[in-house]
Amino acid sequence: MARDRNSEDFIGPIRRLLVGVLVLALAGLFLVWRIDSPRVERLRAATVDAVLPSFDWAMAPITGAANLISDFQSYQQLRAQNQDLRRELQQMKAWKEAALQLEQENAKLLDLNNVSIDPQLTVVTGVVITDSGSPFRQSVLVNVGARDGIVDGWPTMDAIGLVGRIAGVGRNSSRVMLLTDTSSRIPVTIQPSGQKAILAGDNSRNPQLEFLEDTARVRPGDRVVSSGDGGVFPADLLVGQVALGTDDRLRVRLAADYQRLEFLRVLRSQLHEVIPDPDNLLAPEAEFFGPAVIDPAVLNTSELTDG
Amino acid sequence: MAERTDGKAWINRGVFVLLAFVLIVIDLVPLDMRPSLWAAPDLLLAVTLAWVARKPRYAPVPVVAVIMLLADFLFMRPPGLWAALVVILTEAIRRQNREFRNMPLWVEWATVTFGIVAITLVNRLILAVVMAPQAPLTLTLVEMAGTIAIYPLVLAIAHFVFGVSRTAPGALGSKGQAL
Repeated sequence: MARDRNSEDFIGPIRRLLVGVLVLALAGLFLVWRIDSPRVERLRAATVDAVLPSFDWAMAPITGAANLISDFQSYQQLRAQNQDLRRELQQMKAWKEAALQLEQENAKLLDLNNVSIDPQLTVVTGVVITDSGSPFRQSVLVNVGARDGIVDGWPTMDAIGLVGRIAGVGRNSSRVMLLTDTSSRIPVTIQPSGQKAILAGDNSRNPQLEFLEDTARVRPGDRVVSSGDGGVFPADLLVGQVALGTDDRLRVRLAADYQRLEFLRVLRSQLHEVIPDPDNLLAPEAEFFGPAVIDPAVLNTSELTDG
Repeated sequence: MAERTDGKAWINRGVFVLLAFVLIVIDLVPLDMRPSLWAAPDLLLAVTLAWVARKPRYAPVPVVAVIMLLADFLFMRPPGLWAALVVILTEAIRRQNREFRNMPLWVEWATVTFGIVAITLVNRLILAVVMAPQAPLTLTLVEMAGTIAIYPLVLAIAHFVFGVSRTAPGALGSKGQAL
């Protein structure tokens, strides 16, 4: 025992020093992250990019087992589900009729207005690899990245509605910050009243509507779509429906199916055209109609020719 | 003749790394992307502390640091801070390791509880000081309480499944040294 203590005393200080250096290095990394976040976040994206694809095979059995369980549960509820689906089908038939009529009407109106839908809005489809792994962060990782031309800030949808936006791009993967994340803020428009608001995620299932001008004109059930304000997102992407939360705040029931996000579409959102000088947009100087600028030289010459 | 217990140290280190890897993967599996109303216990932390308290040789400092830093990166936490705090805590527990052998379980549990509470508070405090975005307080507390509550269970699993238990008094290493 005594000999052991001696050897420990010999190793002890060096070991303590090394551990101290290690802790200092970690703390230093944290400080660097706080000071120069983008650089370390790029390092994070690169790490995730390098590590996660190799996790793929390890996740497959877990995902498979979970799917098996949920399939089994749905198997048990087959009868009830069947009845629900029948009832829903009846309702949907009525909706289908309405939709067909609206589609025809819409086509006619578009034809009348000679509108062409934005051809630049194309999509890249990615598969969800992992979620954020922490209850405090709402994000997923998709398997498309810089290699596929993904750029920070592009909106991401599932088949129906907006899911989030790209925040962090690695070579082969990129992170999608979901609308439910506490740092997600997007400008939205509420139809049909046309009111603008900010959709603010707060780590709950239904994000809040903030900065509403007139809450009286917004009713639960109203459609919420993205607005093109600030050039953040393209306009008119479906977000969800207004709902009244239990805390009497207006929230949004998201249209995207957050329970199972599998395939995500990243919209190639083109940069908005920047108008540096709005004055010249409507009235360029060359074609200025109205009282002409009085130029003494011109006046003089005209007088001369008259005379 | 006391049995030699540390011959398979390298294998056991591998087992620890593998276990940490599995725990990280389980956290990352994309099953339900809706925000949850409660936070699951931080199993990775509980396992690391249990291993360090019982068999510190199986969880060396560099391994703990690398695993925690990787978890920081993957779980979108501020990189380095939590890893540094966990390394400090494991070092403190490692130093107490010899005393734990002769003490009842609740002393060890109380020490670990104190440690977890301390690093959670320090973590929040530092994040507040540098004005970094913080997780909701209730979720953090739920996670902390869960981690503390699950610690004895992790110890039991470590003992019965992985054979990680207290070193018996007088056990010898492969070279005949005292452990």
